[in-house]
Amino acid sequence: MERKFYRWMLVPAFLFLTAFIYYPVLRGSVMAFQNYNLFDLNQLRFNGFDNFKAVLSDPHIRFAQILFNTAIWLFGSLFFQFVLGFGLALLLKKPFAGRGLYTAFVFYGWALSGFAIGLTWAWLFNGQFGLVNDMLIRIGLLSEPIGFLSNPNLAMISVIIPNIWYGVPFFGIMLLAALQSVPNELYEAATLDGAGSIRKFTSVTVPYVKPTIVSTILLRTMWIVNFPDIIYAMTNGGPVNRTNILATQMINKVFKEYDYGQGSAIGLIIMILLFAYAMLYLRMTEKKGGDTL
Amino acid sequence: MKHPMTILLVLCTLLLVLSPAFAAGTKEEASGPVTLTFVETMTSPSRTAQIQELIAKYEAQNPNVKINLVSPPYEQADNKLTLMLNSNQELDIIEVRDHTVKQFVNNNKLVDLTDYLKTWDQGDDLLPLTMTAATTVNNTPYLLPQFFFVKGLFVRTDILAKHGFTTMPKTIEELYKMSIAITGKAANQYGFGFRGKGSAFKISDILILSDVDNINVDNIYKTTDGSFAFSSPAARKAVAAYVDLYKKAVPSDGINWGFNEQVNGFISGTTPFLVQDPDTVSMVAEALDPSQWTVIPMPVGASGKTYLDYGFAGLGIPSTSKHKDLAWDFISFMVNAENNADFCRAYGPLPVHTSTYANDPYFSSGVYKSWEIEMSNPATYVFVKYPLDNPKYPAWAQVQEQTMQSLLLGSTTVDQAIKSWEDYWK
Repeated sequence: MERKFYRWMLVPAFLFLTAFIYYPVLRGSVMAFQNYNLFDLNQLRFNGFDNFKAVLSDPHIRFAQILFNTAIWLFGSLFFQFVLGFGLALLLKKPFAGRGLYTAFVFYGWALSGFAIGLTWAWLFNGQFGLVNDMLIRIGLLSEPIGFLSNPNLAMISVIIPNIWYGVPFFGIMLLAALQSVPNELYEAATLDGAGSIRKFTSVTVPYVKPTIVSTILLRTMWIVNFPDIIYAMTNGGPVNRTNILATQMINKVFKEYDYGQGSAIGLIIMILLFAYAMLYLRMTEKKGGDTL
Repeated sequence: MKHPMTILLVLCTLLLVLSPAFAAGTKEEASGPVTLTFVETMTSPSRTAQIQELIAKYEAQNPNVKINLVSPPYEQADNKLTLMLNSNQELDIIEVRDHTVKQFVNNNKLVDLTDYLKTWDQGDDLLPLTMTAATTVNNTPYLLPQFFFVKGLFVRTDILAKHGFTTMPKTIEELYKMSIAITGKAANQYGFGFRGKGSAFKISDILILSDVDNINVDNIYKTTDGSFAFSSPAARKAVAAYVDLYKKAVPSDGINWGFNEQVNGFISGTTPFLVQDPDTVSMVAEALDPSQWTVIPMPVGASGKTYLDYGFAGLGIPSTSKHKDLAWDFISFMVNAENNADFCRAYGPLPVHTSTYANDPYFSSGVYKSWEIEMSNPATYVFVKYPLDNPKYPAWAQVQEQTMQSLLLGSTTVDQAIKSWEDYWK
């Protein structure tokens, strides 16, 4: 009797998910196999894998380059976001004067829109008037300004930096919460056993925080791959396709070329890649198990 | 009843989730004021304020009508409007642009305005170019253009004087020479306000293709004998000259310059030449003293002509409107000679009535004199069209940007670039 009642309680949540997540995903997946182009909707029909073929074999916008860019974007951003975020969390763990204010300032980046961040950093990296160039020249590392965003070899690094700045607060908050849940008795016991700080870190802190690390990395991976805002505002995928990731190409297809069919095809590719990644990732991190000392 | 509070909570959530289905809105009353919905897409705060002023003026003259202005943010506005039209929302007046008119007509979203224009007393006062723009698709007027965006050459006369130049460049060759001569990289002084990304082809095409003598006015990428415009020897030379200009008169960062960077370069004096539309005038006028800058007509190419693209935006009536006649009444009010001139004076672009150029000193003197010259000398300033109704057009911007950037960076040769463009348009 009770069980049936609880099942009914799930209905609104299920309807909500269906309407706002499952239905659009289904619709988008269908569109990937149609020639859905706003330019002319009168000839709408299924066109098999044509959209995928067009995206994968575009002679001007090479797909291999886009995949490569996405990988660099993901791993470059993720690694530094995680390391710096973890470091931040460790530093903030112990109370100090002004900790609250400092925390607020550091986490401010997370509240901003990606597009706004991109526009601001585009000016910071500007080749004539940018602050970054100015500072590097003043401290003697450069003799004349460089065009960070116009150099194909520097552009990707230049867009990853704001992304790192943006993502550090997320890891900071989540890992700080996880760190604060580690019972102090364990540290005391470790000290009594003669463990130094590094040993304490690897044998007490990390295993305890492991589940949080696993889930935050998975989440951030999904979000970073689907985060075109900063790149869109700074370089729009250029120069010469070197900062174009799957998500920015999808935006170009949909908003500039009105080609929802090809855009959906790219969306489907992103979904499949992330799904495969998630499966692999969870399987790998599952084996080690969540230790509870 | 078990757990009454929980059941109540569940019911509320259910209603909340299902509420979008009821969000269609109520039907209008038969009596009382009629509300027209007007969607603009080239949204900017000052422009929206001006539109509101004109709306207030109209509502004062027509107490039975209310105009509801919808102003989505500029970057998403065209897409928002497309989605609104495709979901058959009831709209009455919409802003139609040169690159959206074909798409709207293809999807049967616009009303044919021929009859309305025939009976309009100001119909004859429209510039010939206005009617050409109005009938872009299928030779039928699906919109009434409100303004034109035509390129002009903004010049920092003070910077030119500093480097010993007192005359203005009349040809593109002179422009390039002056830009290169002014450039002194050590002093952070460059010559040309380059456009590297975001529809950069709109500027590079003028500078390159104006060297070709026989461009087809109905398709800038074709010559009158049907061959591809960039394949001619003159165009080939011009592409090489354009790359040379980038290398010698533009900071390397220029490849990534969009509108903001171009204007910034001009205002800061780093690049004293700027090819831009008239709506840039108000931005520049706010930042600089009138003695520091001017606008001259676009310099001509080796063909003795300049090929100018005319961007335009105007108002149309969606086919789903229930108040088409009233919508036309408002449109003809917004775009009548007097209101059009007022609007353009405040917002910047070029008005659409012949009488405005003849009678209004604002548009026939000062910096606007240059555009007046461009609009009234068709033998020298030739207006050409882009192949807007070719399904390959929407994707062209990204393709051209890639190949052009590659060319400017030296990873492709001029011949390879031209070949890939030719292959694209086949």
